[in-house]
Amino acid sequence: MIKTENESSLPEKFNEDVPPILGTWNKLYLFVLVFHALLIILFYLFTKAFS
Amino acid sequence: MALIDWIVLVGTIAGIIIYGIWKTRNVNTTQSYLQGDHDLKWWSIGLSIMATQASAITFLSTPGQAYEDGMGFAQFYFGLPLAMVILSVFVLPIYYKLKVYTAYEYLEGRFNLATRTFTAILFLISRGLAAGLTIFAPAIILSTILGWQLNLTILVLGAGVTLYTVSGGTKAVSVTQFHQMVIILVGMVIAALVLVFKLPENVSFTDAIRFAGSMDKLQVVDFSWDLSNRYTFWSGMIGGVFLFLSYFGTDQSQVQRYLSGKTLTESRLGLMFNGLLKVPMQFLILFVGVLVFVFFQFNKSPLHFNEGNINAIKTNDTYALQYEALNKEHEILFARKKEVIHGYINQLKSENEAVIATSKGEVKNLMKEEKELRERAATLIKKAQPSASTKDTDYVFITFIRDFLPVGIVGLLLAVIFSASMSSTSSELNSLATTTVIDIYKRSFVKEQTDQHYLFVSKAFTLLWGGIAVLFAFSARLFENLIQAVNIVGSLFYGTILGIFLVGFFLKSVKGNAVFWSAILTELLILVIFYLNETGTPISLGGREIVVSIGYLWLNLIGCTLVMIISLILNKILVPASKKL
Repeated sequence: MIKTENESSLPEKFNEDVPPILGTWNKLYLFVLVFHALLIILFYLFTKAFS
Repeated sequence: MALIDWIVLVGTIAGIIIYGIWKTRNVNTTQSYLQGDHDLKWWSIGLSIMATQASAITFLSTPGQAYEDGMGFAQFYFGLPLAMVILSVFVLPIYYKLKVYTAYEYLEGRFNLATRTFTAILFLISRGLAAGLTIFAPAIILSTILGWQLNLTILVLGAGVTLYTVSGGTKAVSVTQFHQMVIILVGMVIAALVLVFKLPENVSFTDAIRFAGSMDKLQVVDFSWDLSNRYTFWSGMIGGVFLFLSYFGTDQSQVQRYLSGKTLTESRLGLMFNGLLKVPMQFLILFVGVLVFVFFQFNKSPLHFNEGNINAIKTNDTYALQYEALNKEHEILFARKKEVIHGYINQLKSENEAVIATSKGEVKNLMKEEKELRERAATLIKKAQPSASTKDTDYVFITFIRDFLPVGIVGLLLAVIFSASMSSTSSELNSLATTTVIDIYKRSFVKEQTDQHYLFVSKAFTLLWGGIAVLFAFSARLFENLIQAVNIVGSLFYGTILGIFLVGFFLKSVKGNAVFWSAILTELLILVIFYLNETGTPISLGGREIVVSIGYLWLNLIGCTLVMIISLILNKILVPASKKL
């Protein structure tokens, strides 16, 4: 049950899988983070507009 | 409650439970019971992750928090999307490669058995306590609506959830969470729509929002750098990232959800799904709370929201009349305030700043008067019943549901809260049992037994954890605000747990002994800091007296950083000893 493999090379191997949209995982991560940044900007504008 | 509400409530809950049991009737191996059959798609994983995190507390306490303090609590979730990305890049591939049942298995391979066991125990303590709170929250509803004693309600509800979890295991948790999450999202959207439609004729949605904003309820983002302020952009983005890395990356109740994915890709997409939807969902729930605040400016709310306390004082010979007198005062004040607010909303359209400022001052004064009246009522309740908890914000939303929603919708909204409770409690009990069996029982006590033995033991531990959660739920009313209590309990342990994992992932030179002792030292320090913070006890540093004042989210960052720094130092000191391992 206990695994003692050196996992230092794992991310490279497992990054071979591709997401169904946007082509690469990096692009998908960027999309999630940019969406979040836009959301915070909207929240900020919302706060300013109604305070 | 009307018959149709009972039909909607019981039909929804029973339907989901029966479906879950029926779909998992063939679960007869330990792997299937603890891990599922690795057949979940990304959207199912995403909803399962969200359903696990969104307990009934989320739907009872969060609107109450927005009603009281506004929408700043949304910032608590700001670090979540970044945490999802970090986990997807660095952590998921390792768990998939090692094919672990629990996150803590990884620690034995990387460090040693002591570190794995210690971390598993920290998880069991924090999650065991939190499970109690997730049972307590919906028990408030039933006890209020059915007029049952709270402890009896906790016992009945806890037993029901435990039995359901014992029978189904991980697979039952996953298959039911999809339906539960759909009910939750639909229910909350309907609640928001009903609130908008119930605004007075001459008050538009925009008027309502402008009014709420002018009463400081719509301050979602606060960029101030104030460590003692619980919710700021910075505490959410920095402390929150650490909390969510720890919660989603090392808390077995979440790890178990995404490890049941069909492939690594499905699990990663599930995390991204959560990263995209979680913050908007919390915004919606808080916004519902703000709408409830506006609603109660035009519809009279009770003087005190906890009906159990009201019933107790009404039957008290000494204080019943005094409370009634306060109620009369409240009625008069409400009528006056309503009229002034109507005038204020009209003036908000005029753009005459001087008039608006005067009118706003008047509204604020009346709200202050109302707050003082509520405090007097709370004092009276406390006198009549010294053991009563007078903090009533967790009862605000349920009072609105029960007293003001149309027939049928009441049942649906109650189903939302029950669904949320069932989904998170069952995940918690399931993960507590898995960690107990895999990391403690099977690893250190009974190593070689049949699969049927471990299946039986897994069910027995699920039952045991259900019992512990119920016992803790009995004392949950002592907490000021339920959702904060859950997060505070988490923050006491998550920093240390995350620190251990981060050392494992990124500080390759650090050995087992160093991280083990640094984790113990850090946990003790965190508990001391928390004690000093809560009690306000001053400490003497360099001849100066310092009072610790720090928001609990920062404990995650402090705990994690301390584990990493102390383990690096200890590793230097303990290198010879480590080499002997």
